[in-house]
Amino acid sequence: MFIYTREAHPGENVPHHDNFERKLASAKLLAEEAGIGRDILVDDLDGTVHHAYGLMPNMTWVIGWGGRVAYKANWTSATNVEAFLGRFLSGRAGHPPGTSPAMYETQQAEFRYPDRKRFMQHLGRNGPRAVAEFEKAQQLWAQRTPT
Amino acid sequence: MGETGRGSTAAYNYPRFDDYVADGGDVADEDAFWASPRAGQRAPDFVVPRLGDGAGVRLSDLWRSRPLVMEFGSFT
Repeated sequence: MFIYTREAHPGENVPHHDNFERKLASAKLLAEEAGIGRDILVDDLDGTVHHAYGLMPNMTWVIGWGGRVAYKANWTSATNVEAFLGRFLSGRAGHPPGTSPAMYETQQAEFRYPDRKRFMQHLGRNGPRAVAEFEKAQQLWAQRTPT
Repeated sequence: MGETGRGSTAAYNYPRFDDYVADGGDVADEDAFWASPRAGQRAPDFVVPRLGDGAGVRLSDLWRSRPLVMEFGSFT
């Protein structure tokens, strides 16, 4: 299932949302042009669901039986999600009913756009402004003091 | 939510990515992610309309019988 939030890199062709009708139209682009075949749920204009789950532009959560958070990643990695699901499902099958999993925390540093050329092509599709604004953002990131 | 200022509808739907970064929006949103429910805690439940038919879908109905994978994103 996919939750459609706000446009991360708005441009001339795909602008930011200033009303819900525009938001619905952009969500349709996601279904038709990006080929998302899963159910797409459209968050409200204020981003109520997005706020509750942490506001990152492309994150994945897995919610387990009973509504407990089983997995959260601030950036989507299909490989990571699939590996986790395999362990989670087989682990449950191997334990007595009612056994609760414990929190198992991992942090890792990875490149968010492993296919940078494709990412830049997508920015161009949004409009020239989206490309220019991303380049300016990169300059801003470079100026930040490392912590 | 109001129309101006951080946390408003207008600020959430920022029109320019560079201004969003210049204002520290990306840092604040990363912080919001780490402040959100942790593994083992209860997931927030909402009713959200489905694209296509507009039917309200309750998230807890989706995770009742099997784990639910929720990916968040946009077109851009």
